[in-house]
Amino acid sequence: MLGRLSWDAIPLGQPIPLITSLVVIAVILAALLWLTISGYWPYLFREWITSVDHKRIGVMYCILALVMLIRGFADAIMMRSQQAVALDSGGYLPPEHFNQIFSAHGTIMIFFVAMPFVIGLMNFVVPLQLGVRDVAFPTLNSVSLWLTATGVLLVNMSLFIGEFSQAGWLAYPPLSELKFSPGVGVDYYLWALQISGIGTLLTGVNFVTTILKIRAPGMALMRMPIFCWTALASNLLIVAAFPILTATFAMLLLDRYLGFHFFTTDRGGNPMMYVNLIWAWGHPEVYILILPIFGVFSEVISTFSGKPLFGYRSMVLATMAICILSFMVWLHHFFTMGAGADINGFFGIMSMIIAVPTGVKLFNWLFTMWGGRVRFEAPMMWAIAFLITFVIGGMTGVLLAVPPADFVLHNSLFLVAHFHNVVIGGVLFGAFAGYNYWFPKAFGFKLEQRFGTAAFWFWVVGFYVAFMPLYVLGLEGMTRRMQHYDVAAWRPWLIVAAGGAALVLCGIACQVVQLAVSVRDRVALRDRTGDPWDGRTLEWMTASPPPHFNFAAMPDVTGEEAYWGIKQRAIARARLSPLPIYKAIEMPRNSLTGFVTAFFAVVTGFALIWHIWWMAAVGFAGAFATFVVFAWRDKAEYELPADELALVDARRREAREDLVAGREPGIHPVRVEEKEDPIRLGLRDPSAGHAGPASKRIITGFGFWVFLLSDFIMFSGFYAAYAVLSHETAGGPTPDQLFNLHIVAVETAFLLLSSFACGMATIASRVRNMLWTQVSYLVTGLLGLGFLALEVNEFAKMLAVGAGPDRSAFLSAFFTLVGCHGLHVTVGLLWLGTMMAQFFTKGFRPSIMRRGLCFGLFWHALDIIWVGIFTNVYLLGTSP
Amino acid sequence: MTQHEIYDSAPGEGDVGEHSVSDDVRTYLIGLGLAAVLTVASFWVASGTRLIYSPGVPMALAALAVAQMGVHLAFFLHITTGPDNTNNVLALAFGALIVGIVITGSLWIMYHLNVNMMVPGGDMMGTGMGMGGG
Repeated sequence: MLGRLSWDAIPLGQPIPLITSLVVIAVILAALLWLTISGYWPYLFREWITSVDHKRIGVMYCILALVMLIRGFADAIMMRSQQAVALDSGGYLPPEHFNQIFSAHGTIMIFFVAMPFVIGLMNFVVPLQLGVRDVAFPTLNSVSLWLTATGVLLVNMSLFIGEFSQAGWLAYPPLSELKFSPGVGVDYYLWALQISGIGTLLTGVNFVTTILKIRAPGMALMRMPIFCWTALASNLLIVAAFPILTATFAMLLLDRYLGFHFFTTDRGGNPMMYVNLIWAWGHPEVYILILPIFGVFSEVISTFSGKPLFGYRSMVLATMAICILSFMVWLHHFFTMGAGADINGFFGIMSMIIAVPTGVKLFNWLFTMWGGRVRFEAPMMWAIAFLITFVIGGMTGVLLAVPPADFVLHNSLFLVAHFHNVVIGGVLFGAFAGYNYWFPKAFGFKLEQRFGTAAFWFWVVGFYVAFMPLYVLGLEGMTRRMQHYDVAAWRPWLIVAAGGAALVLCGIACQVVQLAVSVRDRVALRDRTGDPWDGRTLEWMTASPPPHFNFAAMPDVTGEEAYWGIKQRAIARARLSPLPIYKAIEMPRNSLTGFVTAFFAVVTGFALIWHIWWMAAVGFAGAFATFVVFAWRDKAEYELPADELALVDARRREAREDLVAGREPGIHPVRVEEKEDPIRLGLRDPSAGHAGPASKRIITGFGFWVFLLSDFIMFSGFYAAYAVLSHETAGGPTPDQLFNLHIVAVETAFLLLSSFACGMATIASRVRNMLWTQVSYLVTGLLGLGFLALEVNEFAKMLAVGAGPDRSAFLSAFFTLVGCHGLHVTVGLLWLGTMMAQFFTKGFRPSIMRRGLCFGLFWHALDIIWVGIFTNVYLLGTSP
Repeated sequence: MTQHEIYDSAPGEGDVGEHSVSDDVRTYLIGLGLAAVLTVASFWVASGTRLIYSPGVPMALAALAVAQMGVHLAFFLHITTGPDNTNNVLALAFGALIVGIVITGSLWIMYHLNVNMMVPGGDMMGTGMGMGGG
């Protein structure tokens, strides 16, 4: 009934997790009680849980990240203190607990601190900077958030129910295989990351579409703020890399749950294939995190130097170059695995090449500051600390990219010091800079400065004290993840490092106090004008906090640094720009879809972890029902009347009067070059024009197209596994003994004709012919069903002769690749069924027509994947 | 039609503008015909024809598969080279690049690994690390 779950799962015998869990549960219960007593639930439900506003979602991502930062840091301080005492002794953490701590620390810090923080900043800032009202798919955005929260919940549940993975933050097999990790720890890890990974992928699709298709009029690509460019690059990387992670984890899950042999040490499995694939995701992941942070620093350094960013075009170029190059260096994470000199040489050189665009960026930042009027506000201090720290981390990275050096330093604390050097000194410092920079925009008041400065110094000094000794220890030969050791010379350095962690703890404490003090003094810290830092990009044009529709009238962009131009012209004329004509706008309705989806995702994930199959089925059915209910909604939007917009905007304009009249302190008008620049004076160059947001049909179609490409990339993961493992038959049946080309030919014919029928349905729906639309879709579905029946029959026959996926690595890869395509056909048929019903009940509405467009893309794309499969799997497998 | 739509179209829609039903049906028919021809050619090549030098069979199959994928993209998915399709084509190119990198990179790396890590006397391609058959 309850699968593997029993009372033994509660860690009654282990005081540390038990007490922590009880405290956490008590805190959560107290918070829930307080919310209930104060009557905040309706507010919370209306304004946050069901919100599809990108700003609210962004804030929730950042809160999630900050809370998980404390959890991850608690793990860190336990590791540092354990290593400070564990010379010739067991310390205070037993090995199996220590292993869980370092695994949880890495998993949490990357997936549930760095990722949500970066995604939160992008969510909050990108639509504002583009001068638009929301992202491309607002409800999907909420789904992404809540799926990420699902992952967080599952990881933290493992503290109290069961255990967490002991296999490190990337769960390398064979250790993470069932044979060596029989408990639920690795399952918690895999399902939490699979579910939150889907959320992240959807974020990527959403933001690529938003940035490419929804920008204010006049915001041509080369006029976008650099943060939007870096966000574009980062989200392209999400779309390209996360499907590989999904495929890799799926294969490990199949190994663990159904006895497949992808990464096992027997029957032809190859653990090194996992290492290869996981880093094909893992290295782009590094840039997914750091690129938007580079964008944050670009904005901060430009604003607080009072100058446009130096080398905007080279910055764009460097960003996009990194976007591509980041996919060509992944092997440097496993130089020592034995690929040989040629391959190591290639990837070593590529790793050095990728440092070049990063160097370009550093010089751009330095030259931006050079000659500027630098103001040392909190965001700028984080930026300067980043410049220095990141250079050190980058240099040790280039050092590690030299294969012979890597053979010495691999898996040592030198490596640990290096990646903390770039992740803390880069990503985290940048997240803090962004947090200080955009906080007034989000909440309408600045963060208090004294505690902010104290937190800064504790963090920076604490970082150096904690991690520089690790470089030394690495060179002295100390490896990572040691629960105890017997080299006395290491201990002083480890004690210093623990001291550094204590300093960082003080820094975190200062940040908590800073937040509390800022809320207390919010009236004094109020940002009245909406432009507290003398900003240059469009988010500073609207009020702080912005109204939920962001801009009452969409700004007209006439050049780079859109807002700076508008502001300078207004200051030069000493009056505000003329009153725009307000038009009624449509805003997306709130939706509970995200939260309900996440609820069912938690149920499904938990059930799968504990092998409670009936519950998994219930959760899955619930998620599908939620999807159908959402797809059936009638009104996705509501209208905001023009007079209401005018009213809200009047208040914003009133607050701006002082700023324009030069009565606002901290605004430094630089007028000279503005007067000479015709474009900035509003004489727009029509050739660089941009017409504004695309139509809904284009937005939906393009978004789905991007999603399909990510699907192709997921297939390429399975495909690569098949290509590598297809000869590993482990003495079992070979392709030419198993495959029947006659059946494959019939399958192919079914699929091709089905695709043709789908095309006929598209044409029929365009000319609004219901009968032909339904008939064509019916034929599409029946042919798809025929394909599926043949495939199921083929699988059943193979299983009957003992050629199941557990027989050999070849068969594992075969069943997964072909089965995944079959699964897509199944999903397509379910989708087709609901869509036909929608056409029938709702007619040819634009929203249903958009669905038809997406279904067509999906169905035709399945052909393309099938062409790859029948060629490489069936034809190549059987050709003499 | 707004100004935007003049230089932008959704993937799957082909060129913006008016089409007649018969034009559209003809496009799909041509696509179906070409795809069928290429599929038949692939199966024929794989069936062991003497017409193609046998070590060249994989290359011929790859060429036919790529051609067929192109047919599907052009005639069913309506991805064109027109200026209104720039974003769609660029996105596709990016996706294709990553697919290529993942597959060829993995094959390249894993091939070298297998060669270097080969157990003496073991069969590299046959039984992996010499533990197969169990």
